[in-house]
Amino acid sequence: MSAKVPRNFRLLEELEKGEKGLGAGKSYACSYGLEDGDDLLMTNWNGTILGPPHSSYENRIYSLKISCGPNYPDTPPEVSFVTRVNIPCVDKNGRVDPTKLPCLVQWKREFTMETILIELRRYMALPQNKKLPQPAEGTSY
Amino acid sequence: MALPKRIIKETERLMAEPVPGISAVPHDDNLRYFDVTIDGPTQSPYEGGTFKLELFLPDDYPMTPPKVRFLTKIYHPNIDRLGRICLDVLKGNWSPALQIRTILLSIQALLGAPNPDDPLANDVAQQWKEDQNTAIATAKEWTEKYAKA
Repeated sequence: MSAKVPRNFRLLEELEKGEKGLGAGKSYACSYGLEDGDDLLMTNWNGTILGPPHSSYENRIYSLKISCGPNYPDTPPEVSFVTRVNIPCVDKNGRVDPTKLPCLVQWKREFTMETILIELRRYMALPQNKKLPQPAEGTSY
Repeated sequence: MALPKRIIKETERLMAEPVPGISAVPHDDNLRYFDVTIDGPTQSPYEGGTFKLELFLPDDYPMTPPKVRFLTKIYHPNIDRLGRICLDVLKGNWSPALQIRTILLSIQALLGAPNPDDPLANDVAQQWKEDQNTAIATAKEWTEKYAKA
């Protein structure tokens, strides 16, 4: 069993990874960064997801807010869309329902913000979701 | 998980023979994670301040250095806005012969001798080089504001 990386050092690792750009070759499908570079607590983050190809989300950039509370990563962050989206795991206020997205339901400590963004993008591309009509482009909650 | 002997010994010594002006206390639920305080060195702009830091010993410690970060806001050319520290012994010049104790002493020394030629916080370093008196005044102000609870 390995050492348990404390919240802040974990978030610093994620920050550094996010600054370098996620997963080479994935063409920056997702990104994230700290909302306020002066926030020593590193609570609030911004994320983006580039809508997957061959779906009604294609060519759109979705902005999200991610809030990593004091118990992160033992508990998952709170995630919500800023850009309006029509998808079953997101409620009418833009909040990602933690009982509907599999990685939030079965959260593990080794999951990261990247895990969530990539899974949301994959969720958009599911056969039952990829043709859902989307709100007018550029509208926010 | 069994804690390596090396870490147990270092912790015991930190408790039994603390370094003046420095404290490091492991968390009960994570013995690799320490709450640290460092007193600002005398005759530095940080004098009179008590700075909080956090320190974590990764899996491969002591083959890799501890991770250390300031939790108290500080105006210093080698410490960035998130409290990350630019210090050679925390990076390439780390050696397993060094310890938590020596690292914390090095950080205390860094407070006494800012090095604007090897900056992490570029805006601070620039200010430090262009107008040292103003930079020192700002560092004192921040010490007053953030490091005196």
